[in-house]
Amino acid sequence: MKKKCCYICGKEALSKNEIGLTKKLLGKDSRRFYCLDCLAEYLEIDTEFLLAKVEEFKEQGCTLF
Amino acid sequence: MIYVDNASTTKISDSVFEKMLPFLREQYGNASSQYSFGAKVKRAVEVARKQVAVALGAEPSAITFTSGGSEANSWVLRCVAESHYNEPVHIITSTIEHHSVLMASRALEQHGVEVTFLPVDNMGRVSVESVIAAIKPRTKLVSLMLANNEIGTLQPIAEIGQLLKEKGILFHTDAVQAVGHIPVDIDNLQVDLLTASAHKFSGAKGTGILYKRPDLKLSPLVFGGEQERGLRAGTENVAGIVSAGYAIEESVAEMPATSKRLKEMVKATVKGIKEAIPSVRVNGDTENHLPGMINLGFDGVSGESLMHLLDLRGIFVSTSSACTSGMGKPSHVLLALGLSEQQAKSAIRISYGRYNSVCEVDTVVTTVCDACAKIIANR
Repeated sequence: MKKKCCYICGKEALSKNEIGLTKKLLGKDSRRFYCLDCLAEYLEIDTEFLLAKVEEFKEQGCTLF
Repeated sequence: MIYVDNASTTKISDSVFEKMLPFLREQYGNASSQYSFGAKVKRAVEVARKQVAVALGAEPSAITFTSGGSEANSWVLRCVAESHYNEPVHIITSTIEHHSVLMASRALEQHGVEVTFLPVDNMGRVSVESVIAAIKPRTKLVSLMLANNEIGTLQPIAEIGQLLKEKGILFHTDAVQAVGHIPVDIDNLQVDLLTASAHKFSGAKGTGILYKRPDLKLSPLVFGGEQERGLRAGTENVAGIVSAGYAIEESVAEMPATSKRLKEMVKATVKGIKEAIPSVRVNGDTENHLPGMINLGFDGVSGESLMHLLDLRGIFVSTSSACTSGMGKPSHVLLALGLSEQQAKSAIRISYGRYNSVCEVDTVVTTVCDACAKIIANR
């Protein structure tokens, strides 16, 4: 499968969590993917907040992470 | 934080909390004990029973406390079916009931009970004619919800109740979303059984209510004690029961003013969102519905993602499709309205409650519209 890169900064080989966050927060049909920092900027929130959400989603058993 | 998921649960009222607190601390006696320390607690349970009965227009002896609405719903379906042991049993319900009714019905089917799941129209209404058409000689129970928990549509329960009374068929309504929010009167609804839940009207979690017509025999849910007139054994959740009594009293007293305000908030929300997103869809009956609830569909937007983006902004709404994988199943209620899977997955439910203020509406509208724009821009 082709590795996904960040739509904003071009960071290559986004992690499973970064891809999962994009899908979870912007829809599974998302065509653009973001690294953690760029997603935080796009959504106008702190990266720490997003990292906390990743843990929350994992605890809920979400298989995207 | 803006909590607009009051159909899911509500904040307990401060005064209700104060009323229940003594029963978690100094008045911890067992309501079944014969000495005065227990008798005082028993009196508190009976006061609550009377408060609930008055609110519903029922006799106190018709009220049984349970652990919640789901327990009461399951009890009704199972026990009515069981009371006709060795007889063919047919039950009528609808496709948009709460899962506690749907799953109980499915379980009964496994034991030979025939169940008819009535369809609804595109606003989520069951027609009286469809109920009549579904009745069979062996129909023992009809169970239909008063207000739907996802779209807020109200069913013509009083009309159906009159019809079933004439035919001598038991009628149960799941009124969990309605009690404390719209006037609920047993005589008017003409039901034999009704269920409610305290935490939906600013009472504590863990206390349900079953109204049972006084002369109706229902087999016990739990054996082993005389609590709740032998119908549900086990030491009473006194604090929860006390909360149910005061909460229902308070909700009913404040209902006219609360209802008026919630309707205005819903109207302003729809208007505000429609101005920015004209394609927004209002799911359910826009006329006959719960005052504070609204279910909105946004084409091209995942309801689950929208819910999460709102969460990041401190606004709590619910999505109809419970999901843990990002690929959740669409709501059975929205599918029953005739929506496509994609449309059903694009919905969120906003449910305003008595603690929401009109000034929160603008924030909700702006944030929903911004979040939709971010999702759409990413497609």
